Amino acid sequence: MAYDVQTWISLAAYVGGGLAMGLGAVGAAIGEGYTAAQANEALGQNPKMSGEVFKSMLVGQAIAESASIFALVIAILLLFVNPAATSAITASSLFGAGLCMGLGAIGSGVGSGLPGGQACLGIVRQPAAAGKLTTNMLVGSAVCQTPAIFAMVVALVLIFIDYSKAPLYPTWAALIGAGLSMGLSAIGSGMGGGFAAGASCEGIARQPESATNVTTTMLVGQAVSQTPAIFGLLISFVLMFKSHEASTTLSASMALLGAGICMGFGGIGPGIGNGMAAEGAVRWVARNMDHAGELMRIMLVGQAVSQSTAIYAMVISLVLIFVL
Amino acid sequence: MIESVRETQKKYCSRAIVTAIVVGFFLIAGDYRPIGKGLVLGTIFSIVNFVLIGETLPWRLGKVKSKTLAIALGSIIFRYALLVVPLILAAKLEQLNFATTVCGIFMVQIMIIVDHFRAAITSTFRTSIK
Repeated sequence: MAYDVQTWISLAAYVGGGLAMGLGAVGAAIGEGYTAAQANEALGQNPKMSGEVFKSMLVGQAIAESASIFALVIAILLLFVNPAATSAITASSLFGAGLCMGLGAIGSGVGSGLPGGQACLGIVRQPAAAGKLTTNMLVGSAVCQTPAIFAMVVALVLIFIDYSKAPLYPTWAALIGAGLSMGLSAIGSGMGGGFAAGASCEGIARQPESATNVTTTMLVGQAVSQTPAIFGLLISFVLMFKSHEASTTLSASMALLGAGICMGFGGIGPGIGNGMAAEGAVRWVARNMDHAGELMRIMLVGQAVSQSTAIYAMVISLVLIFVL
Repeated sequence: MIESVRETQKKYCSRAIVTAIVVGFFLIAGDYRPIGKGLVLGTIFSIVNFVLIGETLPWRLGKVKSKTLAIALGSIIFRYALLVVPLILAAKLEQLNFATTVCGIFMVQIMIIVDHFRAAITSTFRTSIK
């Protein structure tokens, strides 16, 4: 059974759209569910605060679901907008776009639910700090969306750039690799950022006077947690914009696909690990403000070490792209 | 409890729609009709989505964690089925700009973030004056 090029493009766009929205809904649902579960606990502790808890939950969930709305936008683009080109390579770029956005929204969805949940618990513990907690939750949740925004940028490039003049072999593999590199590496960074943001809400509730120190440590911790996603973005851009020599050998295509897989999986652990380091630092800054500087230094050293595995993954990806 | 949620919804929804109408009016008056219409349409659906989040909140409380997750997923699917409508219209119709429709869909979130940042900046400014 032979298919024409247009059929392959439609097939890739539909599967890509399904993956973008299907995977994209997973993270946001878990994040929102976590927020609601913590709100239950908060209401159980102090039912009189239900109004404030509900308000915080509502606002937190509205921000937390942004990642999956990005996925929805990409899914609609894949399903309803005619692609820039209609060559066989367009099929792989559309499939890569869906994969990238779907995977890329998971971590941000889960991560941005964590500060929402902790803010609900914190409001019950420290009603007077409700304003500070909500602001900190919103800042933390918004930063958690960064990996999903990177994934959306890569998905948009894959949808709208015309690759029809590039050789089909091995560019098809480079484009799917680009989607995997960005999508998978965004998972760890999104979740890691959420750990830091959740701990900062908990910390502010414990010690409202520490809000400035806690928020600063959270932002630094989150910024470093985003690094694996930035590595993923870098490898994606190399895969998308480097001109690949035409080669029908399977090894050339597999090297480029492998580069994307390597960076994607290699970014998950360091993103989560960096978030754990930031979570610990933020939690203890709130309890011991006098040692905030030392705690931040230890956090940064820990994150640098945890980061090394993402750097190894990036090096191997670059070898696969440029050497093999 | 519900009153406080309604108040929050009223505050952000009214700001979102007023912003969209004012910006949309100037865009339409400046002969950028699809851009203005897209923004207003996206904002309307953003408001509907935000109201529905509030309406489904009580369903998620008082349940075990697995049930809460299932309800959250169901709520997302239902609300996204609604958000798809303006996006499909914008993708299909030339009278609506896709990019501004997407901006409109995030209008409530933009209002929430702007409101809190403004409050944080104002309070920092007041503290530094004292």
